[in-house]
Amino acid sequence: MNFVLIFLITIFSLSLFFYGRSKTKSIAIEKNIKLNALPKFYGYYLVLWCSIPSLVFLLIWSLFEPVIIKSIIIETAANQGAIFNDKNEANLIYEKIKAIHLGTYFGDIDSILRESALAYAKFINLFTNSKVVLIFAIVIVSVIYSLKKINKNNKARDDVEIILKGLLFVSSLIAILTTLGIIFSLLFESIKFFSVINIFDYLFGTNWSPQRAFVRDASSITAAEFEELKDAFGFIPLIAGTTFIAFIAMLVAVPIGLFSGIYMAEYASLKIRRISKPIIEILAGIPTVVYGFFAALTVGPFFRQIGENFGLTVSSESALAAGLIMGIMIIPYVSSLSDDVINSVPQSLRDGSYAIGATKSETIKKVVIPAALPGIIGSILLAVSRAIGETMIVVMAAGLAANLTINPLESTTTITTQIVMILVGDQEFDSPKTQSAFALGLTLFIATLILNYIAQRAVKKYREKYD
Amino acid sequence: MELMNNVKIKSKNLNVYYGEKQALFDVNLDLNEKEVTALIGPSGCGKSTFIRCINRMNDVIDICKVSGNIEIDGVEINDKNLDVVSLRERVGMVFQKPNPFPKSIYDNISYGPKIHGKGETKSELDEIVENSLKKAALWEEVKDRLDEPGTGLSGGQQQRLCIARAISVNPEVILMDEPCSALDPIATAKIEELIDELKKTYTIVIVTHSMAQAVRVSQKTGFFHLGKLIEVGKTEKIFKNPDNKMTQDYITGRFG
Repeated sequence: MNFVLIFLITIFSLSLFFYGRSKTKSIAIEKNIKLNALPKFYGYYLVLWCSIPSLVFLLIWSLFEPVIIKSIIIETAANQGAIFNDKNEANLIYEKIKAIHLGTYFGDIDSILRESALAYAKFINLFTNSKVVLIFAIVIVSVIYSLKKINKNNKARDDVEIILKGLLFVSSLIAILTTLGIIFSLLFESIKFFSVINIFDYLFGTNWSPQRAFVRDASSITAAEFEELKDAFGFIPLIAGTTFIAFIAMLVAVPIGLFSGIYMAEYASLKIRRISKPIIEILAGIPTVVYGFFAALTVGPFFRQIGENFGLTVSSESALAAGLIMGIMIIPYVSSLSDDVINSVPQSLRDGSYAIGATKSETIKKVVIPAALPGIIGSILLAVSRAIGETMIVVMAAGLAANLTINPLESTTTITTQIVMILVGDQEFDSPKTQSAFALGLTLFIATLILNYIAQRAVKKYREKYD
Repeated sequence: MELMNNVKIKSKNLNVYYGEKQALFDVNLDLNEKEVTALIGPSGCGKSTFIRCINRMNDVIDICKVSGNIEIDGVEINDKNLDVVSLRERVGMVFQKPNPFPKSIYDNISYGPKIHGKGETKSELDEIVENSLKKAALWEEVKDRLDEPGTGLSGGQQQRLCIARAISVNPEVILMDEPCSALDPIATAKIEELIDELKKTYTIVIVTHSMAQAVRVSQKTGFFHLGKLIEVGKTEKIFKNPDNKMTQDYITGRFG
């Protein structure tokens, strides 16, 4: 029904555009006046007036209709003699009534349920009909209003501008509110977690084994269980593993990416550039899960083989394999972005350097790179946050055991991997194990934020600004 | 009447092509030592292309091909085996738009000496920086803020900084490609005064769109049109009594 309505409103609005445009043209000719705006603005004006109020109404109605119907139905069911002790049971009955109405309920239907289902059907009908009537009313009223305005030759252009500004504002508001919503949901769940686990035990603990927290309910933890839990959520091995793998990845990605970016921007001929740039960028388009099994099935065993030849014990899931593949995945981010920023350094700076007798590499090292540094650091930062946030490669190639180690040949794990491990499968939302995922998410978020802040300060301080 | 100085730079049948398009046609032009030569002519006539041949800056442009001869002190420079780095050490250049490096004033000047291995100790470098800035008449204005970025100076100061940068490696020739076209009249006057001072030590070639400037600063003037050197001679003669009708029309503002 809603789709039909939206479709009708859209068609009607669009036809109003043509009507409004030609109408104002003819008015202008008839009365021999100069219009305040181009005819098409009167068209836009009609379209916006016809569509926005009715669509907003439809949206609000659709949000509230189920809630209202539900409360009415639960009340009628109660009046019919249905018994429920709490909210969950009431919800269950409501779902049953709905299922009966849709014909997908296969249990026993008693008279209470049957009566309620009939009532439900009645209300659904009533609400749908009144919705349609109201929307038609709104469309008619707003169209009549806007047509009247048009006849008076109003400043349609200004009004259209204001409405468009409003639309843009609403879009940015939605983006901001979503971000805030995510942060707050992280925050609240984390607070629940930290009410059970001491924040210092979490931040400075060196042991991570959340599977020990099989307690059913956080509120009923005994003293013994608490002691057990206390050192199960140590954050140190995870942050160590994350930093370690990201570090290996950056060791691969930064030099190769930066150097290939410099080559592309400064040395490569147009022809080579045109061919090789897209090829490098393909690397960024490969799904991470493909990198993951490449790391796990090819690179990991390869390293183990080599290690054995040298008499080393190499775990087939190692930080080295994961970091290396992650680094390869990140190369295009660094190379493509640094290529762009190096290209945007003005040629006049290079000329100045050449003119004084500097060679190409001297010019690049001492003039071009320093001038492009903020952008290069920006690209490296983007790469770091990609590395820290990357999950799939680590899950597949670096293992799941939280080892506190700096040996790249052993398996290790990262924050994101553990979040996956915790939230995969069935879980209870009030167990500390589940809540720890939110705490991890929050910590990761804060860590990335601090990293960005420091880097931005550093860039501001050391940048060589050209104009 | 003063004696003509020795010839420093000599071009013979110089032709330049940008891809298919020929930009210079058989240019034969002698530039005298310790003198200012002004090159005038309408936009796109090849005067900038010509001076960019003198320090081989056209090498930077892929599609640019240069044929013919240019000699400095009798040595052919349009030669594949010539060391461009040491050529550019001898022939400095100042560009149309001031292009200081986004570094401190000090680093802007010390850049050249450092890459040429001049001024090995800090005190030697300090001396080079101070001397170059003094010669460029900028020292008094910036001596207390040498560690501030060169891009923070005014347009005229930036251009004098670029001149100081060119001087810092102690060149023999300074090429100036419309050095005042982005500057206001006061900054222009300062640069012209500076050029007058510099010609005692250096051979200077200046490309300019301002006839008045050519008269004020140069001893010799060359007029280019559509890639050809139409006329060259003493500045006084070119502006008072040119041989060529086209030169006459250009300097009196009838075209260009």
